[in-house]
Amino acid sequence: MLDTQAIALSLTLAFWTLVLLIPFGIWIAHRLADAGSWKSWAEAALALPLVLPPTVLGYYFIVAFAGKSLFGEPLVFSFTGLLIASFIVNLPFAIQPIQRAFEAIPPEIKEAAKVSGLNTWQRFRLIELPLAWRGILSGAAMTFAHTLGEFGVVLMVGGAIPGETKTASIAIYDKVQAFDTAGAGSLSLILLIISLIAIAVSYGVFGKPQTGSQRA
Amino acid sequence: MGYSVNPKQDLSVLKLHIQQTVPNPLAIKLEVGDGEIHALVGPSGSGKTSVLRSIAGLHHPEMGHIECANRVWLNRDSARGPRVAQDASLRSCGFLFQQYALFPHLSALENVRIALHNNGGSRAEQMQCAHDWLAQLNIAELANRLPRQISGGQQQRVALARALARSPKILLLDEPFSAIDIPTRQTLYQTLAELRKRLHIPIILVTHDLREAHLLADRITVIDQGVGLQTANANDLFAKPRNARVAQLVGIPNLFQGVFNAGRLQWGSSPWAFQISDKGKIPPQSQVAWVIPQAGLSVHSTSQDGRIPCRVKRISTLGQIAVIEFVIEAITETLTWEASAAEVRRLGLEQDALVYLEFNCDLIHIMPLRPINDPRRFMSAADSAP
Repeated sequence: MLDTQAIALSLTLAFWTLVLLIPFGIWIAHRLADAGSWKSWAEAALALPLVLPPTVLGYYFIVAFAGKSLFGEPLVFSFTGLLIASFIVNLPFAIQPIQRAFEAIPPEIKEAAKVSGLNTWQRFRLIELPLAWRGILSGAAMTFAHTLGEFGVVLMVGGAIPGETKTASIAIYDKVQAFDTAGAGSLSLILLIISLIAIAVSYGVFGKPQTGSQRA
Repeated sequence: MGYSVNPKQDLSVLKLHIQQTVPNPLAIKLEVGDGEIHALVGPSGSGKTSVLRSIAGLHHPEMGHIECANRVWLNRDSARGPRVAQDASLRSCGFLFQQYALFPHLSALENVRIALHNNGGSRAEQMQCAHDWLAQLNIAELANRLPRQISGGQQQRVALARALARSPKILLLDEPFSAIDIPTRQTLYQTLAELRKRLHIPIILVTHDLREAHLLADRITVIDQGVGLQTANANDLFAKPRNARVAQLVGIPNLFQGVFNAGRLQWGSSPWAFQISDKGKIPPQSQVAWVIPQAGLSVHSTSQDGRIPCRVKRISTLGQIAVIEFVIEAITETLTWEASAAEVRRLGLEQDALVYLEFNCDLIHIMPLRPINDPRRFMSAADSAP
């Protein structure tokens, strides 16, 4: 029996993580691409979720969330808490590809935009954003795939409440524990396929990467 | 619509003096009139591009004053003082980059149109204006192509259309031809020469190619290590370089040193001296550099008073032109001289032949070894003289 509820929950979580994280990620990545002295520290802090054990992150989330609520929703063992955790855990997956994309724009292209009379917002909207879209797509795909696959933090912060915090990856674990190998197998296959597609998107399978101006 | 040529009464003149010590020292003063093409030449790293970027507002020098078309773009009296600087996007400069810097995701037409984005008018009018500019530069048929689909020369035309579309107050060209193959470069030179007749704005060309500067510019400023050494038209620059470094930078052959004393130029430690008339600017007994143009040299096969004996070191023939190197053995100086193949035959010049050189003293130009007015010279011109 396929656990559609868990899949739906995973997809919902991934969707809302994207909605919140991508605009924020674009903003932070754009700031980081224009280097400053604080750049290395900010990058290090944002990369922490890559190296910290999920249990450590989960522990801090529980400590931070304990007894608190947002818009009347408790944060521990709730979807809202899960979403906040997912947002933070995914920061490096979203930001790094977007930042690389902004950094890859040649400085003289940005200068050309300046001397063409475009103001900061116009330069961002008309020049930099379109030139970085592939990195943004890549960041979004990585975030999406990673949210579907996150296990440790979700287990720590969310528990496994069906329909609230029991995502597909948790459901797989539960099914294996309950010797439901068929159920675990079908869920795993679905996650595998979705992740493969997302990663393929981030590697630029669909459409050629946009290169800089041809130097002839 | 505002894309036509500036009306004549809107006198567009650039006045600039800028100074900085970091990241690289710079001390430049410039004045460029409307319709003038002014070339900045100098070795790489000399600061010529920094000057251009300062005008465009892409770089802020420590202090200085930049004024164009009666608008102040930069004003800062001291390195710690308050800075009045207009943002680059508001300065109205047409800027042509070495590598074109077209927006790779936009068509040629959109690349030009985007420069009109804040110029008012409907999008359709902007499109029409952009199209007119492409047509003026003979690339209307490329309007819908992306930059990577067109050649370097065509990209630079699109970039030129983009630079001119906003009717800028000044046109800044940063080595715009160096990435373009030579035949295409020739046609771009022509385009620029035609354009400047209709654009009544200052045009500044940064180049390391003196021939290019000579060909296109009304005046040339030679920049070395951030300092403007001389501003003059090309002919004056070659005939009367202000000092030895200028002569060296513009590649004048037959640059020598000597001692000048009251109208008498003593050539190094040699027994030879020339009678020179100068304006009395050079103090007695000073070390000077001097040059002699091609026209001031004659070669003879017989000895005579005042003629200097030398040996033919090498003859390189290029078609009908021969370049002959003479070595004056007494002082181990080398001279080059250009002559027609017929003249070489007439004089019977051949390797190791002994001949006699005569100098026309009226054509000798003497100058100080190093810039007089510059306190920040680290490198003596004499050290690197050939």
